[in-house]
Amino acid sequence: MLASSTVENYLKAIYAGVARLGHGQRLLPMGQLAAAVGVTPGTATTMVKTLAESGLVEYEPYAGVALTAAGQKLAALVLRRHRLIELFLVRVMGYSWDEVHDEAELLEHAVTDRLIDRIDEMLGRPETDPHGDPIPNAEGLVKQQDAQTLLSCPLETTVTVTRVIDQDKEFLRFIEQHHLKPGEAIAVEARDAAADSVRVRGKNDQRITIGTRAASKLLVQVAQVLLLCLLALPAFAQTEPARREAPRTNLSGYMDFHFNNEEFTDARLDFHRFVLLVTHSFSPRIRFVGELELEHAFVEGLEEGGELELEQAYVDFLLGRSFNVRAGMMLMPIGIINERHEPPVFYGVERPFIDTVIIPTTWFDVGAGVHGEVGRGWRYRAYVVAPLNAAEFNADIGLRDGRQKGSESNVGRPAVTGRLEYVGVRGLTLGASGWSGRSGFEFRPRFDVPVSLVEADARYARRGYEFRGEFAQAWIDNAGLLNDTLALRVGVNPNIGSALRGFSLEGSRRFFSGSRLGEVGGFVRYENFDTQYRMPSGYVPLQEFDRDAWVVGANYWPDADVAIKVDYSIVRNQSSVISAPNSFNVGLGWWF
Amino acid sequence: MVVLMGHSIRLLALAIVIAVVVAEGAGRAQDARVIDIAAERFAFTPSEIRVKAGTRLEIRLQSDDTAHGFHIVGTDVDIELPKRGRGVATVNFQPEAGRYTFECSRVCGAGHEFMRGVIIAE
Repeated sequence: MLASSTVENYLKAIYAGVARLGHGQRLLPMGQLAAAVGVTPGTATTMVKTLAESGLVEYEPYAGVALTAAGQKLAALVLRRHRLIELFLVRVMGYSWDEVHDEAELLEHAVTDRLIDRIDEMLGRPETDPHGDPIPNAEGLVKQQDAQTLLSCPLETTVTVTRVIDQDKEFLRFIEQHHLKPGEAIAVEARDAAADSVRVRGKNDQRITIGTRAASKLLVQVAQVLLLCLLALPAFAQTEPARREAPRTNLSGYMDFHFNNEEFTDARLDFHRFVLLVTHSFSPRIRFVGELELEHAFVEGLEEGGELELEQAYVDFLLGRSFNVRAGMMLMPIGIINERHEPPVFYGVERPFIDTVIIPTTWFDVGAGVHGEVGRGWRYRAYVVAPLNAAEFNADIGLRDGRQKGSESNVGRPAVTGRLEYVGVRGLTLGASGWSGRSGFEFRPRFDVPVSLVEADARYARRGYEFRGEFAQAWIDNAGLLNDTLALRVGVNPNIGSALRGFSLEGSRRFFSGSRLGEVGGFVRYENFDTQYRMPSGYVPLQEFDRDAWVVGANYWPDADVAIKVDYSIVRNQSSVISAPNSFNVGLGWWF
Repeated sequence: MVVLMGHSIRLLALAIVIAVVVAEGAGRAQDARVIDIAAERFAFTPSEIRVKAGTRLEIRLQSDDTAHGFHIVGTDVDIELPKRGRGVATVNFQPEAGRYTFECSRVCGAGHEFMRGVIIAE
């Protein structure tokens, strides 16, 4: 006859609690038992007295409780059921090892010994469960394990992880991710008593530093490895102590693959971006970052097509927390997307209109500057950079074509840009940025086209919800003279506005955080943007450039670094003659 | 009399339970100070941590997006944070008096170099 699940849980808790007692201690204090079972000490005492009357425990008032031989066997058989069920769920049912504990907690009280014996036979009478915990046999006897923790095993000696003595899901996922599961061969390189940390070398020579608390939960065995070493001397040679420097050059990147079905045109498949990011540390204080981007997959000289761009290539001199120097090709510190544009971090297949038409994202150019954090979450960037070229401005996409992109950039009168940012509250980013420069350098006789842009943004993300807001306005002084001059040059007046303005608001919600199947999120965004918000004297704005857009859609992240996106974009303008096209878009983007 | 004795025993038992609970609480208080840090492109929050020199710190790090690194410059502490939803990385650190810069040690995007912070032990 099966004991009640309550009785079994008490016996199991006493069994586990007594096993953790210090040397010389025999009785588990009632307070600890009550905490383990999740009841008040009074309730625990009442139950223990009942168990004592049944001959399953030995109870000493004010001292504690221990299992009798009968109680020991019953507890061991509950553990046998629990651990065999866990192994069955992993091996046969395909569960992951971090999700079987809760299932086994329920099933261990429901299955019969006959079924457990069949599972035991089917699994080949295993000795340990997925976490390395020993499985008692049908008589309740447990094979003793001769194991040490990572705090006591010899240094620089290959050992095999045999057991993880913590069933916490997050801890188990952490262990799995860092290849520290039972069966993995690892070596402890160093223990730092001052920092309470242990450095472990694992699979593919990857290193990880963990705290001593985590290290105490990993049991390892040495003996089997020594035998392996005798059988494979070359492998033994690899276990010789050898401090290796961490790799100093790193390759990462992101990609964007799009399907765009826009009204009035045929649908397109476009490999929009292929970006490789190379970083190199000359020393802890001097670092290089380079970002090479191929847009639209194909570049051919002297023809319209893709773009091959060097979007970042700078050296950072990290002098201190509050003051660092950067020089080279840099991203302008303007807006949400320009510096934070990896595809999985934003909703929508294409970047927001305000970050395309008003802020010419990706906005990069050559220059030098300083950046740092001044405390309490406040940080800044301030750069001197090459200015925009007003000769390339136009009415449709504003400043965008004026980017010199570091290609023999004219810096006769350099521009300045900067950003002040607050990141002192988790999930919250507040930013204000600006850019100012003189952009008429290409004209002869030269005349000034001062351009300035201000921007403010806010982003708050918490528990799957995220809200974003962004506002940007740019001013082009002398726009009338600029239009007249360009009209003489190309024969058509470009009708460039003297002010551009836009704003966007976005709300989103992400679901299924932590799910093995991935996460899903939905969003809605409203944008209003006008590249002819103000016109120079004598010019009339064209209503087709006063636009707004609703974009709705969803992202699916099978992995936090991979996003499948879908959206529908409804764009309207104030013109009664020219319509703005709506579009249906699907995207696949990833970062590594 | 018997009733009074029973009452006294219950009071004594209650006192022992309270003493055990208080003692366990005190034991935890002497344990490491837990500090939770969130990592997201491109900031650690909080990025400034002030502690008393010699305090044992249990730093629990959780990413809100991709995998990040947590490296305390000048020490062996260098750990990778699991991606969003995949758990928490824990580091134990007991700083002597001084300033300890920490930074993201795994390239996480265009603004990776901005991910820095400081532990100030006074």
